Amino acid sequence: MSSEKITHGDDGGNERTIELTINDETHQVRVKPNELLLNVIRDKLDLTGPKYACGTGECRACSILVDGEPELSCLRLAVTADGSEITTVEGLSDGRDLHEIQQSYLSEGGSQCGFCTPGFVIMTKDLLDNNPDPTEEEIRDHLKGNICRCTGYNNIVEAVKVAADRSPENGESE
Amino acid sequence: MPKNSKSFHAIGTDSPRKGGKAKVTGKAVYAPDVSLPGMWHGKVLRSPHPNATVVDIDTSEAEAMGAICITPDDVPDVKYNERTISVPDAIYRDNRVLTDRPRQVGEGIAAVAAETEEKAERALKAIDVTYEEHEPVIDPEFAVSDDAPAIHESIVRDGEVEPIENNIAVERDISVGDVEQGFAESDHVFEHSFETGRTYHAQLENKTTVCRPEPDGGITVWPTTQTVHNVRQLLGEIFDINLSKVNVKRLELGGSFGSSIQTNSVTPITVALAMAADKPVKIVSSREEDMYDHCRYPSKLDVKIGANDDGTLNAVEMDVLADVGSHNIQAFPYLGVVAGFTASLYDFEHLEFRGRAVYTNKAPACAMQGFGNPQATFAVECMIDAIAEELGIDQLELIRKNYVGEGDTFWGQGPTIKSVVKSCGVEELLDQGAEAIGWDERTPPGEKDGRYRRGIGMARGFHTSGTGGPTPGEAIDYSSALVKINEDGSVDVVSALQDHGGGTRSAGARIVAEALDVPIENVELSPTDSRNTAYDVATHATRGVYAGGAAMKKAAESVREQLLENASRLLEVPPDAISLEADTDEGIGRVFVEGVPDKELTVGEVAKRAELNNWGTMAAVESNRQVACPPAYAAQFVEVEVDMETGEIDILRTAIGNDSGTIVNPKLAAGQQHGGFYRGAGYALVEDTQYDENGAIDGNGLLTDYRMLTTMDLPSNDETETFFVETEEPSGPFGAKGLGEACINPTAAAVANAVYNATGVRFTDIPMTPEKIIGDLRAEYTDRVTGKPMVPAEDDD
Ligand code: FES
Ligand code: FES
Repeated sequence: MSSEKITHGDDGGNERTIELTINDETHQVRVKPNELLLNVIRDKLDLTGPKYACGTGECRACSILVDGEPELSCLRLAVTADGSEITTVEGLSDGRDLHEIQQSYLSEGGSQCGFCTPGFVIMTKDLLDNNPDPTEEEIRDHLKGNICRCTGYNNIVEAVKVAADRSPENGESE
Repeated sequence: MPKNSKSFHAIGTDSPRKGGKAKVTGKAVYAPDVSLPGMWHGKVLRSPHPNATVVDIDTSEAEAMGAICITPDDVPDVKYNERTISVPDAIYRDNRVLTDRPRQVGEGIAAVAAETEEKAERALKAIDVTYEEHEPVIDPEFAVSDDAPAIHESIVRDGEVEPIENNIAVERDISVGDVEQGFAESDHVFEHSFETGRTYHAQLENKTTVCRPEPDGGITVWPTTQTVHNVRQLLGEIFDINLSKVNVKRLELGGSFGSSIQTNSVTPITVALAMAADKPVKIVSSREEDMYDHCRYPSKLDVKIGANDDGTLNAVEMDVLADVGSHNIQAFPYLGVVAGFTASLYDFEHLEFRGRAVYTNKAPACAMQGFGNPQATFAVECMIDAIAEELGIDQLELIRKNYVGEGDTFWGQGPTIKSVVKSCGVEELLDQGAEAIGWDERTPPGEKDGRYRRGIGMARGFHTSGTGGPTPGEAIDYSSALVKINEDGSVDVVSALQDHGGGTRSAGARIVAEALDVPIENVELSPTDSRNTAYDVATHATRGVYAGGAAMKKAAESVREQLLENASRLLEVPPDAISLEADTDEGIGRVFVEGVPDKELTVGEVAKRAELNNWGTMAAVESNRQVACPPAYAAQFVEVEVDMETGEIDILRTAIGNDSGTIVNPKLAAGQQHGGFYRGAGYALVEDTQYDENGAIDGNGLLTDYRMLTTMDLPSNDETETFFVETEEPSGPFGAKGLGEACINPTAAAVANAVYNATGVRFTDIPMTPEKIIGDLRAEYTDRVTGKPMVPAEDDD
């Protein structure tokens, strides 16, 4: 487990070290008690896949998986994630090989400007992990909290359908 | 010479977009993802008052905390307009980097930079500003009254100071023929008033800028923008730096929809801070700041149309009052295009347009997808439905009789940019759309009853493809590109053309692949900035593929000549005897002499041997202006269900058709149709920003306060039909026209006409939120038990 050591940063905040396993790599990170998980992932761990678009839980662009569950990283304090296993959109591909969900967003035009895509890919992973063969109704329901301003959602829905079809076991999970 | 579409190898095929892999893996770099060594973070102190004068700013405490602070006294005293696409005469300058005279809530007064965002935040709070408040002007009708306080005393246009009276930013009257005569000669004159909402772009990327001052006195800037070159020009002007030392980087853009056609307000603020701090500085707007930064032009439109019994439309008169908010970004062209798009919808012999754009103490309006067209088309296409009903003529018939089509003159960008239509798929769009929705089975509103009523409606429209034309007009329109063949036969395309997500740049790569006859896999788009590219005006006005792609094609054609020239030296035959062919299976471009088997090389071999022979690189840079602005036609058909008790409107089905000439990438093109329809339906049904009397946006400045349609509010994929009528546009690259904005322009009218067909009530004020329409609906709704209206009608629309 992480060794806990309290220091006083020059901002007077109580910095401490937390341990985050992100996309299978374990990091010790110095964070302040008020630091958001999204900012720690983006600024300290240099994973800029998760996006800030509202900061108030309204768009899901910052979605990540924490211990397998979808979370809004813009609403979560980093210290509360100490010891967690996190997956971001970057963690889905295997080197240069795309995960079938990423592959489908690419082939079906589910990503236009792409700013919402990291959040959609993560929420799609969550859906297919739990429901390998969803109906369109279920897909639309699961993604209703994600905002995409570009696509009108049709090609996103299509991408999820194709990803479900492409999944080796039709529901392969790690 | 245009190729026969059947022989295309790159155009019209589906393959993933260039750069798409970076997007789906989270590796694509947008402005908020840029981080530099030693970078500080900036924050902007924004006015809490809609109309005020800053009496005093005290930054001493913030400075004592180690922050760098700038106030209006610390920025260049330059009055500018943030959008630089028009000629100087059409640019109204009323803005400044920071102001001591805030004219809206959220306007930048001062800014700070510090090592961390948190420190910057605390320093910002330590700044003390004393304001003198003035009466806010929120309602545009009040703004033009004699009682309203002046928002701007004067502005600057083409070097001259011009006074502003009654808060009127611009007045623009345009007339053709004699409208009074037109009405006198008409059997009927129809009149309606329309109102459109203050839509927020809600692009997912909040406006951001990073700036690094360079040792030579220059700056490097990473902004959210649709145009690196215009940002460069404006920053050079404001900060008095040679353009050769202003480098603006083109990044991925997280959606825009027009919101970044101008240099964003955070960009010069970031530059001023970075220069004051002498360090790289980054400012990321919060969502709330972004919501106070821009919106669509909300407009009131009073329309009068004169028609004959046989359906001939003779004359149109339109009065427009547009609310521009705190700054006049482009109201002059806005009024011009509302008139122009109206003139281009139907072949009116007489037109009289009177437009006024007025200042109010609200977020400034700017271009938003369709620019003037969604407003004009909503009004005119609702009128066409009403006129058709009154005259007892089928709406499609009325359209067919009057639309502006092949051989007619089309106003691409107001009265100064026009060209003659050379490709037109309107008839087929109407036929196919009618077939898809079941137009012939449509029943009139009188035959509907019950609580849930279904209706079918349609509207037609178009958007211009760019703002080019045979003569120069009030907008600047050209693009540039460099194309070069590498030593292995692969191709680099170096262009400042921006892509908002529509696939514009990918389409450009296909055009180059087609023009050079190499496989699309061998063409890549180089990272670019304003220093290593020639000018490109902006990706706007649906010009990306039509105009940006045409510049790439022109450069590729020059390179093709060089390729033939070099091959001719190697194969020892004249260039004309050489053929080129893309071998997509092998992934190579073939260079050969037909019928002579031993005279064959690959493009890579020619390039390598040219290098070894020291013949130089096969490369060309070209600038290109399109000398036409062809209309990209659209027709949309929808079926809705209206709940007469709650006012909820559900879109059940839609058929979305476009004539965009040759389709370059079918799947991405369909994505444009879906997206345009979605934003158009939101415009019709829910999207709006309302202000309270203190100039604050209703709600908490959060995204949830701004209603948008979700996955659940739109028809399913099976009920969403998209189709293309492929015409061939002679002036377009391989026959292509524009697409993007054409997909939103008819939507609001199609939805409103469907609601009318369902309910018998014509709503002319969008968005048609349940709160707004419920009164009129209930008045119409006959109670099933009593057979009487539930609520008596209060006023007649
Ligand atoms: S940024 Fe987290 S929900 Fe929008
Ligand atoms: S692709 Fe642009 S927001 Fe979804």
